[in-house]
Amino acid sequence: MLRIKDLFIKLQGFCLKNINLDIYEGDFFSILGPTGSGKSLLLEAIIGHLPDNAICSSGRIFWKKKELTSLPPHKRGMGIVYQDLGLFPHMTVENNIRFGLRYHTLEGADTERRFNMLVDTLGLGGILHRYPERISGGERQRVALARVLILSPRVVLLDEPLSSLDPPSQDEAKRLLKRLHSELGVTFVLVSHNFEEVMYLSERGAVMHKGMVVQKGLIRHIFNRPSSSFVANFVGARNVFAVTYDSGKIMMGRLSIETENHSACCKIPNRISIRPEKIIALDCQDNRTASENRFSGRVCNIWKRNFHLHVEIEAEGVMFHALWPEHVSDLIHLEKGAKVHFGFSKKDVNAFREE
Amino acid sequence: MKPVRSSFFHLSLFVFSLPILFLLFYPLGRLVAAPTFSELLGAILEPEVQASLLRSLVTALSASLISVTFGTPLAYILARRNFRGKEAVEGLIDLPIMIPHPVIGIAILGLSARDTVAGKLLQWLGIQIMGTYTGIVTVLTFVGLPFFINSAKAGFESVPASLEKVSMSLGAGPWDTFFRVTLPLAWRNIVLGMVMCTARAISEFGAVIVVAYHPMLAPVLIYERFTAYGLKYSQPVAVWLILISVMLFTAMRFLARSRERV
Repeated sequence: MLRIKDLFIKLQGFCLKNINLDIYEGDFFSILGPTGSGKSLLLEAIIGHLPDNAICSSGRIFWKKKELTSLPPHKRGMGIVYQDLGLFPHMTVENNIRFGLRYHTLEGADTERRFNMLVDTLGLGGILHRYPERISGGERQRVALARVLILSPRVVLLDEPLSSLDPPSQDEAKRLLKRLHSELGVTFVLVSHNFEEVMYLSERGAVMHKGMVVQKGLIRHIFNRPSSSFVANFVGARNVFAVTYDSGKIMMGRLSIETENHSACCKIPNRISIRPEKIIALDCQDNRTASENRFSGRVCNIWKRNFHLHVEIEAEGVMFHALWPEHVSDLIHLEKGAKVHFGFSKKDVNAFREE
Repeated sequence: MKPVRSSFFHLSLFVFSLPILFLLFYPLGRLVAAPTFSELLGAILEPEVQASLLRSLVTALSASLISVTFGTPLAYILARRNFRGKEAVEGLIDLPIMIPHPVIGIAILGLSARDTVAGKLLQWLGIQIMGTYTGIVTVLTFVGLPFFINSAKAGFESVPASLEKVSMSLGAGPWDTFFRVTLPLAWRNIVLGMVMCTARAISEFGAVIVVAYHPMLAPVLIYERFTAYGLKYSQPVAVWLILISVMLFTAMRFLARSRERV
């Protein structure tokens, strides 16, 4: 297990505060957060490559029971793929991949076998003699991965490696990362601000905000049960409302909201969040769906978003955001000012308390 | 309409560039064309001319090599590190470009003054400045160094620091990272810096004449022939200096270009 314990780092007015993370061996762990939340700085602290002006006032890093905190980067048994990939432009693809071999004690035959295995797995056979500027973005990314993986690291750190790729290459890279993870059994730590990417790749992760870890656990849980307004908004649960709690009932203005077992998270919630895709149009979608919360409202705005409609509905002074398939507009009268009936299940209401 | 405007724009640029091109090429062209072939041949067969040209080349290249050896680490530090007083150091490096060159000669001569610590040390080491190769190379290094350091610094700055981080994360230490990653990528600027430094050194006159009239460098010989015998006798030596310099710099630039990957 990779354990980060009580980490505090200062860097030019920014601070990583009290970072505590446990990343299990073989896990694909994601560190999420908006730009400037400290994700990349945390990654640099893990590999031991902090900027010169960073001050690490406390904190320890362990792999299993061995402390890594004072070890130089190359002795930590980790590899990192930076956002810009950092391929050496004056070296061929093959020399890029072999760059680190002379600094690691690996058996010669093993090295060649691993080199050939990676070249095959990553489909680099045809480009070994080319220079990085002559290969595509996706190929560059695979070279950067091969260069790290050939050294048999225990942990591979990925600093937003997909952000520089076009969407088709991103999909391909995601599938490749997933395959590498399952085939090689290496621990991956991914830094990203893209929730879709993380949902596809990771089981577990943490969300960072202003240098702190604000929620960690199963990605699915973070997505469905955000524990703060920030996380709720970050993961795209557009409907975040302040609520009051009275005699076992959650009230949002004049609307009474049914929830499912909110006491598991907090006894007296003062916020709720509902994902926009969980709000359904009652007149057209399956009415047998358990929609314990049913309301009527007027459409205030409609936007097209990919193949969905983002619909803003005002009900009793509360603005709901719903994400409906495009064909809904064929089934119900959907235009600005139209009256619609909508609802959501009580199990889709996430109640939490925020100070 | 756009192409018309664009061609007018380019024509204007060309017209405004003409006086500069004229100023650069006309005097030099006239100078190179002035001596006859027999005058040029006669000049190069003179032992005094050969010795001064060779001396100029050797001392300028020595100054360039000293600049590379000691200027490269400084250029790297200036490109990569921030420290208190960095601006002052950068200003100091540019100083030889700004001050009159006889002043540089006088300052270098001041090093050997017997009542100074540096003078006593030089005397103890048996090093003389006045009228020696040591003095000439010191002066040429002083005037050429800013050109080398600024070019090498720009080269190091053009290498992304992230490549060095990647190299170290793959296990390379700082020395290996410098020699395997940074230097090969900054190489072209370093060679260009050498060209600039050599060019500056080979053309130096004002500071050299203060420190060492003898042994005579080519610019001093040209000056001496001009003052003693007139324009006609100085021109062939000047042409040879120009030709040798052009050949040297073309070779160095070719070397820099051939190091670039195609």
